[in-house]
Amino acid sequence: MQQALTRNFCIIAHIDHGKSTLADRLIELTGTLRREEIGEQVMDSMDLERERGITIKAKAVRLHYKASDGKTYRLNLVDTPGHVDFSYEVSRTLVACEGAVLVIDATQGIQAQTLANTYLAMEHNLEIIPVINKIDLPGSEPESVLEEIRSVLGYQPQDVLLISAKTGQGVPPLLEEIVRRIPPPKGDAQQPLRALIFDSRYDAYKGVIAYLRIVDGRISKEDRLRLMGQDTEIDVLEVGYFAPVPCPATELSAGDVGYIATGLKSVEECRVGDTVTSIYSGATEPLIGYHHPKPMVFAGIYPTQAEDYKDLREAIEKLNLNDASLSYEPESSPILGYGFRCGFLGLLHLDIVRERLEREFYLSLVVTVPGVRFSITKTSGQQLTITNPDEFPEPTEIEKIEEPWVKISVITPSSFIGALMELLNESEGIYKHTEYLGQYRSSGELGQRVRLEYEMPLRCMLTTFYDQIKSRSRGYASMDYELIGFREARLVKLSVLVNDMAVDAFSRIIPPEKAHEVGKAMVAKLKEVIPRQLFKVPIQAAVGSRIVAREDISAKRKDVLAKCYGGDITRKRKLLEKQKEGKKKMKSIGRVEVPKEAFLDILKLG
Amino acid sequence: MTHTIALYIHVPFCRRKCPYCSFVSYDYREADITLYLSALKNELIRRAGGECIRSIYFGGGTPSLLSVKYIGDLISAISSLSTVEEAAEITIEANPGTINRVYLTAIRELGVNRLSLGVQSMNNKELTLLGRIHTGEDAKEAVRFARGSGFDNLSLDLIYGLPGQTLSDWRHSLDEAIAMEPEHLSLYALTLEADTPMWRAIKEGSLPDIDPDLSAEMYELAEDLLAAHNYGHYEISNWARQGQECRHNLTYWRNLPYLGVGVAAHSCLDGHRLANTKSLDKYMDGFFGKVSPVLELDEEINPELELAETVILGLRLCAGIDIDDIRGRFGIDILLHYHQQVEELAGYGLLEHADGYLKLTRRGRLLSNEVFWRFLPE
Repeated sequence: MQQALTRNFCIIAHIDHGKSTLADRLIELTGTLRREEIGEQVMDSMDLERERGITIKAKAVRLHYKASDGKTYRLNLVDTPGHVDFSYEVSRTLVACEGAVLVIDATQGIQAQTLANTYLAMEHNLEIIPVINKIDLPGSEPESVLEEIRSVLGYQPQDVLLISAKTGQGVPPLLEEIVRRIPPPKGDAQQPLRALIFDSRYDAYKGVIAYLRIVDGRISKEDRLRLMGQDTEIDVLEVGYFAPVPCPATELSAGDVGYIATGLKSVEECRVGDTVTSIYSGATEPLIGYHHPKPMVFAGIYPTQAEDYKDLREAIEKLNLNDASLSYEPESSPILGYGFRCGFLGLLHLDIVRERLEREFYLSLVVTVPGVRFSITKTSGQQLTITNPDEFPEPTEIEKIEEPWVKISVITPSSFIGALMELLNESEGIYKHTEYLGQYRSSGELGQRVRLEYEMPLRCMLTTFYDQIKSRSRGYASMDYELIGFREARLVKLSVLVNDMAVDAFSRIIPPEKAHEVGKAMVAKLKEVIPRQLFKVPIQAAVGSRIVAREDISAKRKDVLAKCYGGDITRKRKLLEKQKEGKKKMKSIGRVEVPKEAFLDILKLG
Repeated sequence: MTHTIALYIHVPFCRRKCPYCSFVSYDYREADITLYLSALKNELIRRAGGECIRSIYFGGGTPSLLSVKYIGDLISAISSLSTVEEAAEITIEANPGTINRVYLTAIRELGVNRLSLGVQSMNNKELTLLGRIHTGEDAKEAVRFARGSGFDNLSLDLIYGLPGQTLSDWRHSLDEAIAMEPEHLSLYALTLEADTPMWRAIKEGSLPDIDPDLSAEMYELAEDLLAAHNYGHYEISNWARQGQECRHNLTYWRNLPYLGVGVAAHSCLDGHRLANTKSLDKYMDGFFGKVSPVLELDEEINPELELAETVILGLRLCAGIDIDDIRGRFGIDILLHYHQQVEELAGYGLLEHADGYLKLTRRGRLLSNEVFWRFLPE
C-alpha cells in the first residue's frame, strides 16, 4: 500500500546546471524544511562541494508531497555525484531509483556530462523527466534547448518542463509529473531481504552509516544482516531516513530508501554496490554485480616537511574512512622522503583529496606528476604493474607496455572545433566521430554545437589537458570520458638530473619522440625556478643514459649587505634570520636547495 | 671603572630625499633643526655621563646642514658630560653640495678631524639618477676645501651597481676618486629597499634591473684597483691607508659598546641593543619632557646571540676573527663550536682559517650573507 505511494528518483545534470538548487526547492515546496531553514543547498554538505559546484557523496532525502489527486506521496530524492570520476557511484545511485529528473541549463544547453548521465539513466531503464532550468536568466534560450533535446535525446517539447529552481517557477508542476510519470517501486516486502548500498559514510558515534534502497523484504533495528559481496556481518544499530536530518524509524521495507547504522569501523567494510540480506534465510542472489571501483590516476603525496609524515598518514587514513575509492600505500623517495602513492578515480578526485588534506588538515604537500597504471611485460617474461614512473624498467628490459585508453567526448560550439581537434591530436588522440547537436543554434555567433569523439591514452589527459580544453574554447566546451581498456604503447622514462642526481619526483613516462621537447621544457623551467647556488648546477634530462637536454645554473656570485648604518645591527640580523628561515623551507636535492614552488612549477608542466 | 664607548649622533635632515635612500631622514624640516638640537642635548644629559669617548660620529641625513654653532654646542655638551679622548676620532658626514671652506675651517677648529664625503659617483648622469644635489666637479671642489681647511683624514663614499651602470662607468668614478687621494674609501653596492622610488621604477620597468654578476665584477675591479694604489681592504665595504681605518665603525664590527643619540639612533650598551623612535615629532616631544622618550627597540642580547653577532660582525673585517680573542671573551674555541659551519663554508671556498684567524675569502666577501646566516643561533 505504502509502496504504491512511493517514488524514488534522482536528479542528474552537468556541473552547475542547478541540481542542488532544484533539490533545495523540492525540499522547500514539499514543506520538508522552510526556506530559511535550508541555508544553501542542503544536499551538498562539504564546503568543497559547494565551491566546485559538484556533489561528491550521494545522500537521500524523504519528502512528503500531497499531490493534486489528494493522496500524499513519499518521494525519496537520491542525490548523485555529478562528475565522471564518480561514475561508478552514479550508476549505483541510479539502481536505487525508478526515475530521474534531467536538468539542463537554459543558457548552456546539453553538455558532455548531460549526455553521459542521460545514457547511464537510460541503461538503467529509468523514467527520465527532462527539465530546462534557469529560465529566469536573461541569457536563457529555452526554445533552442528544447530543439536540442528533441534532436539529440529524442524528447518531444511537450514532455519537457521549463523551470527556475532559483525562483521556484515551474517546480510545482514538476512535482506532479514526478508522481505521474515515475513508476512506484516494485519488489516484495514478504520476500527475503535484498537492499542495495548506494552510499556510505563514517560517523564517529555510530560507525559506518550505509545508505540503502530496500528492494525486497524489510529491515528493523537490531536485525543481524550480511553484506553479500564482502561477506561482512553487521548489526543494525539504528534504522531510519533523512528529512533531511536523520530520523530513526522502526523499519524500512521494500521500495524504501533510508539508512542503517552498522557500527563498522571503516567504509572499506561496507562498500557502495554491495547487497544487504538477512543472515538467516537470506537471499541467494545479489541485486547487481559488485566490484571495487579501480583507481585510475596515481600520484605521490609527500609532506613538505619530513616531520609532518605522521600527520599526513593520519589525515589520509581519516579521509579513507569516508572515501573507500581512495587507495594509498607508503612510498619513499630519496628526494621527497616518506609519503604515499595514492590512487584516485580521476583527476578531480585527486584535486579534491589534495585540497581536503591541505585545508582540513593544514598540511603543506608536494604532489608528484599524476600518472596512470602501466602493465609491463619484461623481456624475461615477468609481468609488472607500475604506478610510479620511477619504477619504470630500463628500455632494454621491456618487451611490451600497455596503458589505459579512454573514449573522450567533447561538446563545443563549432567555432572552436579546429583548436580542440589540434589539442586532441597533440594529445595522441585518435579521431572517431563528429556529431552535430540540433539545428537551431547554427545561426549563433559561435556556431552550431558539435560533439567530438576521440580515443586517447588516459596518460595524455592528465595535468593540463582539461585546462586546455577550457582555454581553447573560451570556456564553452565540456568533456566527459570513459575507460575503454588497455592498449599497447611505445613509451620511455624521461629522468631529470639536478647536479647529476636523478630526481625521482620529476620522472615522467612519454613517447620517445617527445623526449627532447619535454626534456628541454623541463630543464628550462628548472633553470628558471631553482635559485642560484654557491656552485654551478647542471640540469639534465635523460632517457636511460642518453642526455636529451641540458642547462646550467651558474654559481651565485654576490649576496652581501653593504652598509652598517649607524650601528643598526638588529635589522641586519633580522635580514639574515629571514634568509635562514627561507633556507629551511627548501627541499634539498643533494646539495642543491630547491624551493617547494619549484617542484610545483615542474609538476604543473604538461 | 669608566668604560670606553663610541658616540653616534643622528642628524635626520636632508635638503632633498634621494630616491634610493631608506634611511631615516626628513626633507623640508630644516626649520626644526634648532628644536632638534635642544632635544639632542637633553638626550645626552639623560644618557651620557662619565664614559670615556673614543669616537664621535655625526651621521645622517646630512649632518653638514648643522651650523658651526650647533656643532660647537654639541661637542662642548659632550665634553662637559664625558671624557672625550685626546686622540678621539670625530667624523662628520657631509654632502659635497652643502659645504664651503669657511664652514670646514670652522668645524675643523672645533675638533672635527675626519670628513666623510657622500660623493657616490663621479659621473653626473649617475648623480642625476641618484637624485644628488651635487656634481662631480662639486665633489672635487669639496675635497680641495677640505684639504685647505686642514682635514687630513678624508673619506669618500661611492655607490656601484646602479641601474644601467657599466663597468667602465664605475672605473671612471674609481679613477677619479683615487686621483683625489682620500685616506679612506667606502664602496657600497646599491641595495634597494622595497618601496623606495628607485625600487618602484625598476619594478615598473622604467629603469633596468640591477645585474648582481656585474655588481660582483665591479667589486672585484675595485679590490684590484685599490690594492694597486696602496689602500688596505679592511672591511667588506671599506678601504683605507694604513692606520686610517675608521675607528668609529671598527667599534661596531668588533661588537663593542656604543651610544647613539637622536632620531632612530641605535645603541649597544650593557648587553642590550636599543633604538630610538624613527619619528622626528615623537622624538622631540620625548626630549622636551612632555612624554618619556620613545624607545623603539630594547633587546637583551643573550650570550649565544652575542657570540653569533660578534662572529658575524667580526667576519666583516678582512683580517677576520682572532680566535684567541674570542676564547678570551666567550671562553670557547669557535673552530669547535662552529665546526660544522666552518667545514661547510671552507668547502664552498667562502671561509678560511690561517694564523689564528678565521676570515672570509675574496669570494666569501661577496657572498658574506651566505656565510653569516649560518652562524645565527637556532
